[in-house]
Amino acid sequence: MGNTKKYWTGVDELLQTEAHQEAISNEFVKDQSIDEFLGDERLKESSTGRRDFLKFMGFSIGAATLAACEAPVIKSIPYVNKPDDIVPGVANYYASTYYDGHDYAGVMVKTREGRPIFIKGNKDFGVAGGAVNARINSSILGLYDSARLKGPKKDGANCSWDDLDAAVNAGLSAANGNVTILSGTVVSPSTHRAIEEFKAAHGANHVQYDARSYSGVRKAHESSHGNAAVPLYMFDEAKVIASFGCDFLGSYMVSNIFANAYGSRRKPEGEWMSKHYQFEANMSLTGSNADVRIPLTPSQESLAIAALHAAIVGGSTVSISEAGDAAIAKAATDLKSAGANALVISGSNDPNVQMLVNAINSSLGAYGTTLSIDTPANFYQGDDAAMSKLVTDMNAGQVKALVIYGCNPSYDWHDAEGFNAGLVKVATTISTNLFADETGSKCKLLAPDCHALESWNDLNPFGPRIDMVQPTISPLFDSRQTQESLLKWSGNSTDYYTYLRQTYNSEYSEALMPTDSAWHTAIHNGTMMAPKPPALPVNTAADAESPLQVDAALAVSAVKSAYKGGGTELSLYSSVAIGNGAQGANPWLQELPDPITKVTWDNYIAMSPMDMAEGFNGTTYRHTMGQNESFDVATVSVNGGSVTLPVFPVPGQKRGTISIALGYGRGAGQEEVGKAAFQTGEYGAHLTDDNGNKVPIGANAFGLASMIDGCVVYTAANVDVAQTGADYQVATTQMHNTIMGRDSIVRETTLAAYMAEKGAAKGEASWNEVHKLAVHGSTEGQPTRDFDMWKKHPVEDIGHRWGMAIDLNSCIGCGSCVTACHVENNVPVVGKDEVLRHRDMHWMRIDRFFASDYPTHKETKEKKGIGAYDAYQDMEHAAENPETVHMPMMCQHCNHAPCETVCPVAATTHSNEGLNQMTYNRCIGTRYCANNCPYKVRRFNWFNYAGYKKFKFQNPAQDELTRMVLNPDVVVRSRGVMEKCSMCVQRIQTGKFDAKKEGRPVKDGEIQTACAEACPTHAITFGDHNDQSSAVRSEGDNNRSYHALEEVGVQPNIFYMTKVRNNNEA
Amino acid sequence: MRAMTVIPSGTFLQKGLLSIFALFLLSGVSINSHAAIFDEGDPEAGALVFDSYCVTCHELDRAKSAPALAGVADRWGSTEEMLVMWIQSPSAARATGDDYINNMYDKYSSQYADMTAQLVSVDDIKNVMAYIQNPPVVDGVQESGCVTIHDVKLEDEGTTDKWFLVLGILFIIVILSAAGVARSLKNAIRERDGKEPLAHQTYWERTKEWMWNNMAFTSLLGLFATIFVLVWLYMQAMGVAVVENYEPEQPIWFSHSVHVCENDIDCEYCHHSSRKSKHAGIPTSDVCMNCHKDIQEGTKTGTEEISKIYAAIGFDPSTNSYKGAEGDSTMHFGPQDSFDGEPIAWNKVHNLPDHVYFSHAQHVEVGGLDCKNCHGPVETFTVGRVSNTELTNSQTEVPGLIELSKPTLTMGWCIECHNKANIDKSNEYYVEMHNRMSATSRGQEEMRKIMEDNQQTVKEFGGWECAKCHY
Repeated sequence: MGNTKKYWTGVDELLQTEAHQEAISNEFVKDQSIDEFLGDERLKESSTGRRDFLKFMGFSIGAATLAACEAPVIKSIPYVNKPDDIVPGVANYYASTYYDGHDYAGVMVKTREGRPIFIKGNKDFGVAGGAVNARINSSILGLYDSARLKGPKKDGANCSWDDLDAAVNAGLSAANGNVTILSGTVVSPSTHRAIEEFKAAHGANHVQYDARSYSGVRKAHESSHGNAAVPLYMFDEAKVIASFGCDFLGSYMVSNIFANAYGSRRKPEGEWMSKHYQFEANMSLTGSNADVRIPLTPSQESLAIAALHAAIVGGSTVSISEAGDAAIAKAATDLKSAGANALVISGSNDPNVQMLVNAINSSLGAYGTTLSIDTPANFYQGDDAAMSKLVTDMNAGQVKALVIYGCNPSYDWHDAEGFNAGLVKVATTISTNLFADETGSKCKLLAPDCHALESWNDLNPFGPRIDMVQPTISPLFDSRQTQESLLKWSGNSTDYYTYLRQTYNSEYSEALMPTDSAWHTAIHNGTMMAPKPPALPVNTAADAESPLQVDAALAVSAVKSAYKGGGTELSLYSSVAIGNGAQGANPWLQELPDPITKVTWDNYIAMSPMDMAEGFNGTTYRHTMGQNESFDVATVSVNGGSVTLPVFPVPGQKRGTISIALGYGRGAGQEEVGKAAFQTGEYGAHLTDDNGNKVPIGANAFGLASMIDGCVVYTAANVDVAQTGADYQVATTQMHNTIMGRDSIVRETTLAAYMAEKGAAKGEASWNEVHKLAVHGSTEGQPTRDFDMWKKHPVEDIGHRWGMAIDLNSCIGCGSCVTACHVENNVPVVGKDEVLRHRDMHWMRIDRFFASDYPTHKETKEKKGIGAYDAYQDMEHAAENPETVHMPMMCQHCNHAPCETVCPVAATTHSNEGLNQMTYNRCIGTRYCANNCPYKVRRFNWFNYAGYKKFKFQNPAQDELTRMVLNPDVVVRSRGVMEKCSMCVQRIQTGKFDAKKEGRPVKDGEIQTACAEACPTHAITFGDHNDQSSAVRSEGDNNRSYHALEEVGVQPNIFYMTKVRNNNEA
Repeated sequence: MRAMTVIPSGTFLQKGLLSIFALFLLSGVSINSHAAIFDEGDPEAGALVFDSYCVTCHELDRAKSAPALAGVADRWGSTEEMLVMWIQSPSAARATGDDYINNMYDKYSSQYADMTAQLVSVDDIKNVMAYIQNPPVVDGVQESGCVTIHDVKLEDEGTTDKWFLVLGILFIIVILSAAGVARSLKNAIRERDGKEPLAHQTYWERTKEWMWNNMAFTSLLGLFATIFVLVWLYMQAMGVAVVENYEPEQPIWFSHSVHVCENDIDCEYCHHSSRKSKHAGIPTSDVCMNCHKDIQEGTKTGTEEISKIYAAIGFDPSTNSYKGAEGDSTMHFGPQDSFDGEPIAWNKVHNLPDHVYFSHAQHVEVGGLDCKNCHGPVETFTVGRVSNTELTNSQTEVPGLIELSKPTLTMGWCIECHNKANIDKSNEYYVEMHNRMSATSRGQEEMRKIMEDNQQTVKEFGGWECAKCHY
């Protein structure tokens, strides 16, 4: 009797539906891009038989073999007259400073044969130890952007600088004093001098505004402390931080500097560890790192500050919600006990809200400790009211000439339409932007500025500190520094370098310039303390921290009446990768996954997945988080603006609110802002809309902001959200959002638990136990290490053992390491379509894990009363307000590497220094290694990214100019090989060579991988584990350190350090 | 007057000698009046003084950065005392208001640098004057002893191959003719015997029949032929990408032999980044000019090749000055960046694929290798060429030469050397590595294994690992 039982894998199969029949007839569910190779119609028509095919193949192979016999002649061209400081093949580093109106960092620019190829922090002299972020280290690509203006232009036609100067001078004299210079915040004393000269020569007016405005903070400090400036925040002094909708680790003000200071207090081994409360609507990078995160709507955020004010300073109590009130009470207790070491910070740009923040900080005594307004930061001097007035004046025809310097108001001013309408009425419009961008393309005269890496400048971030900007390459195009242009237009023919040096003496004269040696030291270090701080026209600093003058009652009532909430609330935020959009055409940044959602190449409307499932204003949305899911598109309208974007589920988003990132939608008017700013299709061509226009990436959300009290605010209530019915695919790099209870990946504990066992030996503490496997006849189990069928690898204690320690506690997930790795290792950019196909090439990624409601499978089953299968499914969903962990993941360089044993051609092998080596020229592309890797860090190179047309608009290697950025020490891999993190073996080799050359052992810290160097919080430590005194050794021996997936027994050389949350209730 | 340089041809030398003699005779007559300073010196002692003081600016037979000195005895239009004063203190001499000196100064000051005071005695001046009038004649062509690879006639193997081919074809024709003749004879016999002539068969059919009848022999032959073809294919395959003796034509006929062998210039003088960088460095034109500012004529190629350097860097040998940007008529003493010259585009000789990382500095500075270890007897090369193993191994004079068997510039060659070369144990870097090993018992065991052959080769310290060269 045969068995008649029938097994089926799904209902479809059981019922044999049509869709199922079709599905099983296709081997591949999705179209394979191989069709592209055979996509040529002519090829399809031809009927090449098998034998013909073999003949053709034989002939081709024969021909190719013959052709290959003749080696090509390669030219080698030496310098004619060699510059003294360049040795071909040896890198030079130059100290400089990065400032783009948003980010600020002291940097070292690496050049090879005169080409800048890498930007890292200036560890010794830079602000905050040269902390950089992804936007800063990726900015090097902008230098080589072939969309930059190649020279001056007049009325759309190329012209000479003489012609341009003549036209500008004619326009300026015709304007007869009605001249305005519009710029971002200028913190350069010499540039200010040049602007002053220009103002004097033409009776001009200078207006500054910032793309993301902080004028509310300035205004509040003007009324509370008499100093219209943004304060200098010192997070390294803050024991308790209460942040209200302020993404100070990702994009708020100079986030890289804040991140550095914040990170220094996130090590539980230190004297103390800060406690961080975050109240916010959207899940920001900062919120994901907070010890306590309380989701609030934007209006509740402001009221919460009023509530905190009541709790700390006094006054009538304000109630938000039950949970909110409790959290505020706790935060207030903690803040009060921290006293001067507390810090309250708000991302709001409403002066009334900021006034309350000032009152709280002042009451806590924080001024002078965690923030300072007497030595304020010089950043963000933008004045929204002045900008608004300028737009009105332009529309009234009162501005006859407008010089635009380093800003893009047609894109990032909230009333861009008004600005554009006014611009038409200005007789002479001059843009000095590097691109004919949204604003530049509307100006009549284009006088392109030099890129920062081609320029001289001085920057005064705060106090007497002057940071120097020096050129690292001659101007690539016929551009001229704007300061020099301004001088020329004011009738001063001094070159800017001399002018710059003149600034540093009392008389501003050539005769009194600083001595060469003093000057060269300043240039060499990239910074100096100015003997006499040159005047910036702001910051009349008082002698001591000024007393607070604020009418709190008035501010509280203003806040209460302004934030009644209502309807759907919206918050606008700056994305961590794209910032305010200045680098919207930078493919490295576009492909950098968002730290929270892991979305690449796109902007979206963030909504709580629970809202999406249960209905948001009655409408449900598709909400499966995955790599290539389709999402519903919706239109968001408020304040006269509207954007249409896909709706993407973001756990932790306050229910009933939505958030949208600024900085997308560049080039919507077909401006030349760079080819990677536009969407590309399956075969690499730019997507076009019905009118044949290129489709920008995402949409510009600046238009959704509005003015309150003369300041642009980035929140709104009563927002209209309407589903359009369209479908949209969003490319993300991560499929698994929770760790499903596998505690061997991420280890986490609370500060109290940590302190209780602080002195425990490694592997002993309850929060970081050695992984034990069950053995027969014992209840104890045995450590994984006891089960080893491998021969002991000789790297331990012998020679070098390169390794890394990654502190999950100080890692904030900002992605600086990811882009630094891209730049250093020529990692290909693949574009959205390939990310959708799971073919992203990041050698280093940051896994982001949300906590689910119940940490273990057992608990889920018990508490919910559901079966095992349902319990697992349930654990895939993140909690409503999940705790988040960021975990950098790259090749773990296992000493017992599973990839090495399965390679049929020994292309991946182990070195006696502990490196898992990947030999591309030996690899035949079987991909067995990737299948056998427990960490999934190996990337298969599917295409010739440097040549195939699909990547023409994204891959830097495909542009004659842009490919100058490639690192000549690392090979550009071609199609068909596996690649992965090499632990920057080129840097290890160089470091060892330097040591051997000087006849000494390698010094600890001398060799740094690109990721370790780029980490603003020093979460990544690299070094020689066999060097007993090395930092990586001590971190590896620390009781917090563990190996990810220890139970698989692969013995990695990468150590992770247990995350400790300063949240004892959890 | 070209007695200073090595004169290449005998007849020319004789002519030169004759003219020098003639000059001596003439000058002896005309300069009687100041015979004291021009005639009393010792030419050999003068040569030494000339070479240490005067040669910086002066030559005998051509203008350098100062006028040529030959014939000065004839030209000098002032007193001997003024000549001495002019050499010892030109400014004092001019201050005396001497007409001849001031005229001379006016005439030359625009063209040449100012004469500087020389710390020489009157006796030295006498010796120099003697030397100027009577420079020691180079005794015939000096044999440099330098032989280049091109001087050695290589056996023409191609011709032999051709003869073998012709012979082979002849052999086949003879065999076929003989077979034809044999058949005709056989038919003639059959005819005589009154039999039917053999059926008509083509050569191919007859061969097949013969093969069928002699199957054992045919099989054996076939086996040998197959083995031969396979071996031949293997040899061919092993020759793919072997670039030994590659010697591309270069834009300048540059001779390593002249520079290295005849003039004894160190490799690192021109290839000056070999201790600092992965590239040894191709000399930049300004490095060439260090010598070629003065050496304006080559012994083998005259001015033709050297003038290509001048074209690149903007040097004008007629005025001994450098050109600046277009439209700049100033004569510069040093090379100008503003000069828009075409750099010399050399053809790269030693090409490694992109996926190979090789550092000269690692091998020369740390490994302490002599250039010749890999590059062979460069002094016998003219333009750059890839040396072959045979040549490289033949240099018994090179200290620490490592003899290798694989073709140069192949990976086999690299790793063969890494297996033979020893590391420098005195380097503190390796001292530290050894200390770490001796600290653990496992390390000591490793060390014992390494030292079994009393050598610590590069391979034993990871020199055979992929990521040492491939990343």
